[in-house]
Amino acid sequence: MSCCAMRWWVAVDWIETLLKEGAKKVDELEVYCGNGTSVSASLKQKKISLATSSKECGLCIRTIHHGRIGASYTNNPDQWRACLDAAVASGNLATPQTWNGLPKPSPVPTIDLSFDPDLKLEPGCAQEFLKTMLESAAAHPAEVTSGSADLSSGNLTFANSQGIFYTHQSTGVSVSLEAISGQSTGSEFDHAAFIDDIDPEKVGERATFFASRSAGGADIPTGDYDLILSPLAYADLLSNVFVPALNGRNVHMGRSKLADALGTMVTAPGLSMFDNPHIPREEGSAWWDAEGTLTRRIDFIRDGMLEAFAYDLKTAYRFGKTSTGSAVRGGFAGLPSIGHYNFTVDGKGENIADERAIYVHSVVGAHTANPMSGDFSVELSNPFWMEDGDFQDPIKSAMLSGNVFELHKNIVGLSKESRSIGSYILPSIKITKQHIIGKHS
Amino acid sequence: MNIMPEPPGIRYYDLRHVNGHHTHIDIDNGIVESAGTSFFNKAVIRVLGPRGWGIVQIDNYAPGSRKEFENILNHATKLAKITEESVILGDVRHGMLLTVPVKEDCRSISIEEKSALLSEIERSAHNPLVVNRRANYTEKIEQIHFLDSSGNEYSYEMCRSGFSVMAVASRNGNIQMGHERDHSIHGFNLRHQAEKGKQAADIAVALLDAGAAKGGKMHAVLDPELAGVFAHEAVGHASEGDLIQEGNSVLKGRTGQKIANEQLTIVDDPGIHEFGFDPVDAEGVAVGRTEIIRRGVINAFLHNRETMASVGNGVPGHARAMAGEPPLVRMSNTFIETGDATDEEIFAECKKGIFLKGSRGGQVDPGRGVFQFNAEYGYLIENGECTKMIRDVSLSGEILTTLHGITLCGKTRLMNPGYCGKGGQSVPVSDGAPHVLLCDAVVGGSGLD
Repeated sequence: MSCCAMRWWVAVDWIETLLKEGAKKVDELEVYCGNGTSVSASLKQKKISLATSSKECGLCIRTIHHGRIGASYTNNPDQWRACLDAAVASGNLATPQTWNGLPKPSPVPTIDLSFDPDLKLEPGCAQEFLKTMLESAAAHPAEVTSGSADLSSGNLTFANSQGIFYTHQSTGVSVSLEAISGQSTGSEFDHAAFIDDIDPEKVGERATFFASRSAGGADIPTGDYDLILSPLAYADLLSNVFVPALNGRNVHMGRSKLADALGTMVTAPGLSMFDNPHIPREEGSAWWDAEGTLTRRIDFIRDGMLEAFAYDLKTAYRFGKTSTGSAVRGGFAGLPSIGHYNFTVDGKGENIADERAIYVHSVVGAHTANPMSGDFSVELSNPFWMEDGDFQDPIKSAMLSGNVFELHKNIVGLSKESRSIGSYILPSIKITKQHIIGKHS
Repeated sequence: MNIMPEPPGIRYYDLRHVNGHHTHIDIDNGIVESAGTSFFNKAVIRVLGPRGWGIVQIDNYAPGSRKEFENILNHATKLAKITEESVILGDVRHGMLLTVPVKEDCRSISIEEKSALLSEIERSAHNPLVVNRRANYTEKIEQIHFLDSSGNEYSYEMCRSGFSVMAVASRNGNIQMGHERDHSIHGFNLRHQAEKGKQAADIAVALLDAGAAKGGKMHAVLDPELAGVFAHEAVGHASEGDLIQEGNSVLKGRTGQKIANEQLTIVDDPGIHEFGFDPVDAEGVAVGRTEIIRRGVINAFLHNRETMASVGNGVPGHARAMAGEPPLVRMSNTFIETGDATDEEIFAECKKGIFLKGSRGGQVDPGRGVFQFNAEYGYLIENGECTKMIRDVSLSGEILTTLHGITLCGKTRLMNPGYCGKGGQSVPVSDGAPHVLLCDAVVGGSGLD
């Protein structure tokens, strides 16, 4: 067996050699490589049925020669020479574009924002999380169907022919639980970079709460209603439609409905959207992006007005813009593309649950929304009538139809509390006049 | 390597090692954004300890000495110590089908030629109202090696390749898209496809004048692609043995129960030569046809070895896995069997309703028994004829009641390739059906009249 994790982290000489070899063939090149380990355990109903450990590693080489960008990746860094050849060959096929150079080294803070030195990758720790979730799940009459706990850590190295040599360590913990009561399902999850920031007790309790409390719901007639979307339900609609429209590449290639909207109101007043890559203890935080550009806060929308789009180097050079440090990668072995770190929706928080409205915990099918026009129809999961801040009668089932862009103009309130959902930090939102289709209309 | 007997404390082990490479080409508005080849090597080793599974996932795996392999088994055995569930593996039939003959091997064509052919498809989407054309080619070749402690060992190669083309049309702030794709296990498929770009553009432009669907209950005719997604979402997932075992499917305990009209038979078959084909499943089990619903009655669940033993009432050979990931119970090629209605009879019987074409995907909550899926576009049906074009139509339904609404099935079945996500793994699948009539469908749309 051969695994890179032990070897390359001790000696990175091969990266220097790779850069030297590559410099003989192309104008510029960069190396993005990393390794990660994880331990997880999964429940089948209330018993642990499997425990897993994984080791992964990856290397991505990108070359730029006369404006032609080539790339290749492999999860065997020992074969970096073949990977370099494949990257150079890939560049020969690409259409040349304006290219003003890879970034030069800059001072970077030495503290890793999303690394918990106390996190140990031990199966017993995952076992403890599962036990805690199961104990708190017993608070409500619902059966646990499945659950998992996962601990991970990773190391990244980024180097380029301009002299950058950055490293980054990160950790992650995630837990989830699913439950059922009759034909009523509930699920909850939590994730964090630091082990102390995870709340398995709440996850267990909420999963069985939603399963049991949603049972026996009644139908509602078709009509327009005021809604409260939980951060989870909101994240689904926001991430599938609205955020891709802020991607500079989509903007300049004719794939964004917001392309011509800079300087105009695109949401309700009082609403802001920004990406803050420097939040301590957030999983997404990073000092430099996947191309070695220093990250910074981007204010996309301030008080309802659209002010900025996100760029990586390639898109910025092509369209005469500046990189916003928004290049991200899907994994250790992947090409850079435009993304974000901690995408935040913000505004004045208030009590949005006092007046009677339908609370929606999550939605089914948000990925089927039309990403260009923003039109969507989704099935509601765990919808309730909510009043005076309390869950009232559950609603059996209904569809919500609308347009994600229009929906943002009808936001009338944000909750005081926000929650991390993947790379998003979101409050609950209250929206008026949303079209619900009942099942017996 | 030589298969060795299970060491102490191990009831069973298996190894699934996948080596491969991936070639892609991305052309965006005439610009070759990226094109090239990347490489991967991933393995997963599973050990069944006294109770449950210990699983080790390794990148960059190289078969080594017996001692090295024993070290991995020991590591997995230690992991298995925290398990509590007593996992039993069902007795199954092992064996592998022949792989699919390939008409033209992707490896025999240069990437320059592939890029030129893709470019033709992308250029054919040109239209004065089209503001973005994008075409992608993807080709994944995998060498799979499986062995287990019972002496089963299989090696085979799979190549999956194909393309997608998208056109975005825009007029006065209205922005719509059309999408065409084809993926295949039968070899290189980029030749003679240039018209696909034009088809995507024509749909995008036509949608600029389409109205929003009015939500509510109505009869719907589903085209073979959308009816296939219906079978996948409404029935396929809920019949997966792991969900039944966990108690997270409304189909649990309902074997023999009639949940659909007699016309309806829904099948999953990894052995047919469609995009979800596997010659052997990810646990080395022989694959074959499973009739999930036979003439309206719940007949058989999809199983792996563990759920076969635990749940029963079904057919094993449905374990599938991404490279380096543990196998899960999955669908492969899922379809509604043909019926005896002509398409004319289906539209005439519908009389007034909606005809839905293409798919933007779907999702299901199998425990609650509620599903949702979305058509690319459709037409209103009036007096049995298609009239006005409509856009952004979703359907939702309940597994235990909606299937009764399928009252007619057409005579010709078509399969469509795609990918299905579950447990963080995406695997190739195909879905298909003839045209079907779905009575009293719940349609979601934001149109008001």
